[in-house]
Amino acid sequence: MKNSIKVERAKKNITQAELAKLAKVSRQTINAMELGKYVPSTVLTLKLAQIFEVEISEIFTLEDSDWV
Amino acid sequence: MKLNFLFPNEFKKIGWIILIPSAIIGLVTLIYNYEPTFLDFNVPAIFIDKFSLSDEKQLFGTVSNNILNEILGILIIISSLLVAFSKENVEDEYISKIRLESLVWAVYFNYGILIFSFLLIYDFSFLWVMIFNMFTVLLFFIIRFNWQISKLKISAYHEE
Repeated sequence: MKNSIKVERAKKNITQAELAKLAKVSRQTINAMELGKYVPSTVLTLKLAQIFEVEISEIFTLEDSDWV
Repeated sequence: MKLNFLFPNEFKKIGWIILIPSAIIGLVTLIYNYEPTFLDFNVPAIFIDKFSLSDEKQLFGTVSNNILNEILGILIIISSLLVAFSKENVEDEYISKIRLESLVWAVYFNYGILIFSFLLIYDFSFLWVMIFNMFTVLLFFIIRFNWQISKLKISAYHEE
């Protein structure tokens, strides 16, 4: 799964640490998601969409490898 | 996700404070076979099978025993549990995933070493394997988990 957390973060002009605080997760988690090393839960996905004020599908997109 | 069987974060520090000295004292007293006489007691026991001429077997009773190794063993187990299973500062879903992966890894690694020891270590030397194996699952988990977390912290630190 691809995500545009970094882009959304840049639009809002907030750091990883600030986003972590808003979403009530650790900074490592934000970093791991941006690097594509961690796929977040539904709850965290919904939180991020709410923080960025966009639809989930604007942040997260499926890749072909997700269907394998 | 609310129930996770973990201790509050503050217990991790308490765990380390107890674990480090008891592990060092435990190791030293084990190696030098140190048993101070003031800790000799008659203690209640079950499944008694005395290793002596009388060949005494009892279901319940008392035995004379030096309780230093019992005290240290219990301290090491409880403090390792606190270190291993206290929450991180922010215990979120990703940290929980790493916790689980580290636990699986530690169990595999521990039993891998045990199988290896079964095949190569015999007689009295195997007693040492059994003694250490009582504590190594937790020890391997603690090492692996904290190593993974610190790797993440470093990687997140470089990002900004």
